[in-house]
Amino acid sequence: MSEKNDVLKDRNSFDTTEEIPRGKFADIMPLSQRVYLEITGSEEKDGIFELGEKAVVVGRSTECDIQLGVQNVSRKHARILFQNEEYLIEDLESTNGVLVNGIKVVRCVLRNNDQIEIGGVKLVFNEEKRLHKK
Amino acid sequence: MKSPVEEKMLVTFWGTRGSISTPGRTTEKYGGNTPCVTIENQGTRIILDAGTGIRNLGIELVREAEAGKQPLKVHLFLSHTHWDHIQGLPFFQPAYLKDTKVTIYGSPKKERFLASVLKRQMDYEYFPVSMSALTADIRIQEMSEENLHLGPLRIEWEEQGFHPGGSVRYRFSAHGKEVVYATDVELDLIFGGDHRTEEKEAAARDYLRFVQGADLLIADGMFSEEEYPARVGWGHASIPAVIEAAAKAEVKQLAVFHHDPQHSDKYLDDLWVKYRSRYLAGPQKMDLFWAREGLTLAV
Repeated sequence: MSEKNDVLKDRNSFDTTEEIPRGKFADIMPLSQRVYLEITGSEEKDGIFELGEKAVVVGRSTECDIQLGVQNVSRKHARILFQNEEYLIEDLESTNGVLVNGIKVVRCVLRNNDQIEIGGVKLVFNEEKRLHKK
Repeated sequence: MKSPVEEKMLVTFWGTRGSISTPGRTTEKYGGNTPCVTIENQGTRIILDAGTGIRNLGIELVREAEAGKQPLKVHLFLSHTHWDHIQGLPFFQPAYLKDTKVTIYGSPKKERFLASVLKRQMDYEYFPVSMSALTADIRIQEMSEENLHLGPLRIEWEEQGFHPGGSVRYRFSAHGKEVVYATDVELDLIFGGDHRTEEKEAAARDYLRFVQGADLLIADGMFSEEEYPARVGWGHASIPAVIEAAAKAEVKQLAVFHHDPQHSDKYLDDLWVKYRSRYLAGPQKMDLFWAREGLTLAV
C-alpha cells in the first residue's frame, strides 16, 4: 500500500473531529505592509525603491532620496510622505508638475497601482501586504 | 510679488460618491464618502456640501487649528439638502469648537427654511446631539440675489431644476480662473430627448452660459449610458451627457463627480479609459477625470 493511502487510512480511523481551543483563534499572525515605487521610465535609472514612514524627496538634485537624472525633472520635484497611515505625493512647485494617472495634482493620496509621472519619468506605486512568519 | 502658485485656487475632493457612502475595498481609489469639496485661495476656505466626506476634512481642520494657527473660519455652500449632501455635518469636528466660525449658505427657494432643515436632521430621534449644542458660531444664510465676495473669491449662483426638490450651482472666480460646482442635475432631460419644451431650451441655455469656459467643472455624472434609461427622472446625469454638455461649453477640465454607489474602482477606471482619450485627443481639448478622494489640484 502506498504512503498516501496509509495517511487516508489513519484519517478514516478518527472517531470524532477534535475541537480546536477557542484561544487558538486569537493567535493571528501580524500583517506587514511593504510599499514600493517602481521606476520605469528613466533611461538612467530603472528600479524599485522601498518606501518607509520617513518622507522622501524625488528630484534631479543629488540631495534627493530618489534621484532622477532627467532634464525635465526639477531639482526638488516631489515629496512622498506617510500621513494618517496613508502615502501622499506632493508637488514641490516643480516646473513640469506631478501627474497621477494622467491628472496634474498638487497633492494626492496614493492607491495601489497608481501611475505617477515626474518630468516624463514614470513611477508605479505598489502596496504589498504579507503575513509575518514567526 | 505673489507667485502664481499662491494665486491659484486649490480644489480638494473629500467625498465624491453619490446617494450613500460606500466603504470597502472596491471603492478605496475613488472613495466612498458622499460629496464634500474644498476650494482654498489666499486664506479663504470654501466648503462645498457636507456629505460624509466633511468628517475627514473636519479632522484635518482641527489638526491645523491645534497646530497654533488662526481660529477656523469656513464658508459652507450647500447644493441642496438631500441626505448625501448634509449628513456629515453633525460629524464636522470644527462645529464643536467655540472659536470656529461657520457660515452655511444655501438656496432661498426652500419651502422650509434652510435652518429648519439642518436643525431637524439633528432632532433627538435621529442624532443624540442637538444643533443648539454645537458650540461654534454657526450662521445660516440663504443666498440673495446679490453675488457674494469672500476674500479674493467672487461667488455666483443659480437655481437648478431637473432634480427632485431642485439644487443650486455655484461659480467661484479668482485671478481670472473659474471653478464651477454643478451637481445633482439631470442633464439628459435638459439637453436630450425628442420632446423639446421651452423650459428645457431655457435650462440648456442657462446651464451652458453658467459653465461656459470654466477652468474646472465639477459635475454630476452618476450613470453610465447603459444604466441611464432605467433611471430617468432620478435627477442625475449620465456620464456621456455631462461630457457632451461640458465640451459644448468649452470647459477646460471636467471632474466627473457623484459616482453611483454601485460603481467600483475598476468600473470607473474602465469608463475613464473609454471616454478620456476621445476628448483629450479630440477637437475640444478638454481634460477629463473622475473625481477621487484625497486629490488636490490647482486651478
